[in-house]
Amino acid sequence: MSFRLVRIDDRLIHGQVVAGWLRALGAKRIVIVDDATARDEFLREVLMLAAPQGVPVEVHGVAEGAARCLELASSPEPVIVLARSPRTILGLRQAGVPIEVVDLGGMGAGPGRRRLHKTISVSPEELGELRELEKMGTRVEIQIVADDRPIPFRSLDSNP
Amino acid sequence: MSRLAGGIGPRLERSHMYRKSAAVGAAVALAMLLAAAMPATVLGASAISGAPAPVHTITVSVWQAALIAIGYYLANSPFLFGLAFFTLYRPLVAGFLVGLILGDPAQGTLIGAAINVPYLGFISAGGNLPADASLAGWIGTTVALASGLDPTKAVAIAFGLGLLGTIIFYGRMAVDSVFAHWADARAEKADIAGVAFMNVVPGQAFLFVVSFVPVFWLALNGPTAVQDALNALPVWTVNGLVIAGGVLPAIGIALNMRFIFRGSAIPYFFIGYILMTATHNSISLVVVAALGLALAYLHLSFVRRDAPVPAEAAAEAAAAQAASAPPGTAPIASPSLGIRLTRGDLVKSWALWTFFAHANYNYERLQGTGFAHAMTPIIRRLYTTEDEIRAALKRHLVFFNTEPNFGNVVHGTVIAMEEQRANGAAIDDDAINSVKSGLMGPMAGIGDTLSQSTITPILLALGIGIAGGKATGTAVPTLSGATGNPLGAIIYVALVSVVIVAIGYTAWMQGYSRGRAFVTDVLRSGAIDRVLIGAGVMGNMVLGALAASFVVVNLAPTVTIAGAQMNLQAAVLDPLFPGALALGLVIMTWWLLRRRVNPLALLIVYLVVSIVAAYPFFGPDHTTSSDPAAQYQVCTSSLLHPYYACGAPPAPQAPPAPSAQP
Repeated sequence: MSFRLVRIDDRLIHGQVVAGWLRALGAKRIVIVDDATARDEFLREVLMLAAPQGVPVEVHGVAEGAARCLELASSPEPVIVLARSPRTILGLRQAGVPIEVVDLGGMGAGPGRRRLHKTISVSPEELGELRELEKMGTRVEIQIVADDRPIPFRSLDSNP
Repeated sequence: MSRLAGGIGPRLERSHMYRKSAAVGAAVALAMLLAAAMPATVLGASAISGAPAPVHTITVSVWQAALIAIGYYLANSPFLFGLAFFTLYRPLVAGFLVGLILGDPAQGTLIGAAINVPYLGFISAGGNLPADASLAGWIGTTVALASGLDPTKAVAIAFGLGLLGTIIFYGRMAVDSVFAHWADARAEKADIAGVAFMNVVPGQAFLFVVSFVPVFWLALNGPTAVQDALNALPVWTVNGLVIAGGVLPAIGIALNMRFIFRGSAIPYFFIGYILMTATHNSISLVVVAALGLALAYLHLSFVRRDAPVPAEAAAEAAAAQAASAPPGTAPIASPSLGIRLTRGDLVKSWALWTFFAHANYNYERLQGTGFAHAMTPIIRRLYTTEDEIRAALKRHLVFFNTEPNFGNVVHGTVIAMEEQRANGAAIDDDAINSVKSGLMGPMAGIGDTLSQSTITPILLALGIGIAGGKATGTAVPTLSGATGNPLGAIIYVALVSVVIVAIGYTAWMQGYSRGRAFVTDVLRSGAIDRVLIGAGVMGNMVLGALAASFVVVNLAPTVTIAGAQMNLQAAVLDPLFPGALALGLVIMTWWLLRRRVNPLALLIVYLVVSIVAAYPFFGPDHTTSSDPAAQYQVCTSSLLHPYYACGAPPAPQAPPAPSAQP
């Protein structure tokens, strides 16, 4: 298992990830799986260039990302996988990518979204997808920065 | 600072609501003036009262407590050109200002500097705050100064306060979400001024109350409470606090090392450390920093000759660029635009953001209302119908969070897109949202790395070094006898303000005029990597030097060699490698943090170990005797001894060894 962190975060690469997680985990590669981002050439380039030197960033759509994650899952390289929505992770999981834990790191509030914890809000669909992930044996945890203690999603989900 | 606050007025004269915030600004300016005028009288008074006794206490008056409480509020407020987080928030600066208020700026700066060291690696990103460094600085300094405490004792007490302060921050993050909804309601009515009002006034009113009341109370009652507590404790535990004052800075330094103590920059940390210990701490940190700058240049020219951008990424990026849209897609204001933004609109928008980005920081939207507030001059210029205004306000009230300086490139780009849209370009909400939500993360990543984990700690380390790094001329550094230098705080504020504002303004204007092209050009050029590498070299030097001044571990036990009683530290370790134990502690702390040991847990362990190590295992608890022999025995009766040197065993007829009481 080479995934040091599989994280759902609206903002993908940002301060908490670059200054916090990347250093704390000693990860050597970032794989971003998101269909919309993969289609946007400009954002792809920005993300590739935004990570610190020596940490390559890959941006894939879900189908391509699943194949890449399967390949990386068996390599010894320490990898961080970032996605913007639980649906993406569910897609990876359904394609057979082994994911033990998924971390909720940033999911913004908005109309129709319920707050679970601090900066983590979910829509009803996302709630269903997170429950589905738990059913498939992937633990869902909230841990915004590496120094925080992880909070199990199950403890915040009132009626699973 | 009062000049800056006073300057809010003319810039915000547009609306009624703005006038209210200008009134708050004026009140703030008045308070700053009072703060500046007050100490002159206090200083005069303390000068008359004669030379300071070894322990001289100050009674904090109601007015002084109020000024300290206002200072703490300002440190968390947006009214200092958005610079409060980089200036008044930091214990070094807070210490200087509390010193001014209480009439001893030099000692205040020294205490603030000592309190600041454990917070060197302090970072707040994405609404996450590990500790409230500002409460540690404002109240920690007040308590220490008023009780005549040694700066090193203040460090441990202040750290507890810092943890307490996070309650205020998190309470505010939760409550401010409500005001974001009030802003939504104003947006629904296309009320531009109302949105601006909701971003500033309710959140700041709430913050003022929850900051002023507890800090006022703590400033009035804290000193006596702490003095009583210290008087009730056995002397050895108080010695333990002093030992902790020398041990805890290792955590702040190691936290900061996580960012810069890497790869080929590692040796520079040791160069900085050894430079200080080898010269018996007799050179100024400015000298070390200057040397660091020179070495950074050499390092970039000769050591790092490889391409700053990883070849793989650069090639991919170039390919992506070639395959995608032509360069003309960058939103550049073309002369054909009917409605044009003026430079004044851009500057006004930038100033609003710089001031009020975090005025209503909350869990739900983070900087969302701040973004909408910054867009108000743009919306006023570009849109006239109520529908357009409503749509634009709602478009920019959504969740947003980036680093508020380098991240300004996002705002510049978005403003250019809004301008084109107002002139009929086919730019829909999705296009604007995707630029905002796509760019805010990566720009925050780069911005936080630049501002919070590189520029601020290096400049702070420099300021702290100047403030507290008085040459002692002894192998074992001591803060007890040092005199603080307020210049450390002043130089830090000047440097950090100029650098942060310059980055923010440039990113904003370049983002507007060149948009996406600016982002890719800056990233591709590798300029940021070069800055980070150079800063890493200089930062390691300064951090190493700072570790040599502020981290102190002194073994107390004596050994008997050839019939002579010798102190293990002074007679055996120091001649070999002065400060070797302290260096070992710093490296061990860094290693533990890398192994993901929780810094807070580490802090508690270090505190407990420091106090236990002060227990007089080998002799009497304490003595008030002025007999050097008795004092020497106290000094050598525990495992570690407090922040001063034990000195040599007194010879029968020799003059007393220097043994300052902590």
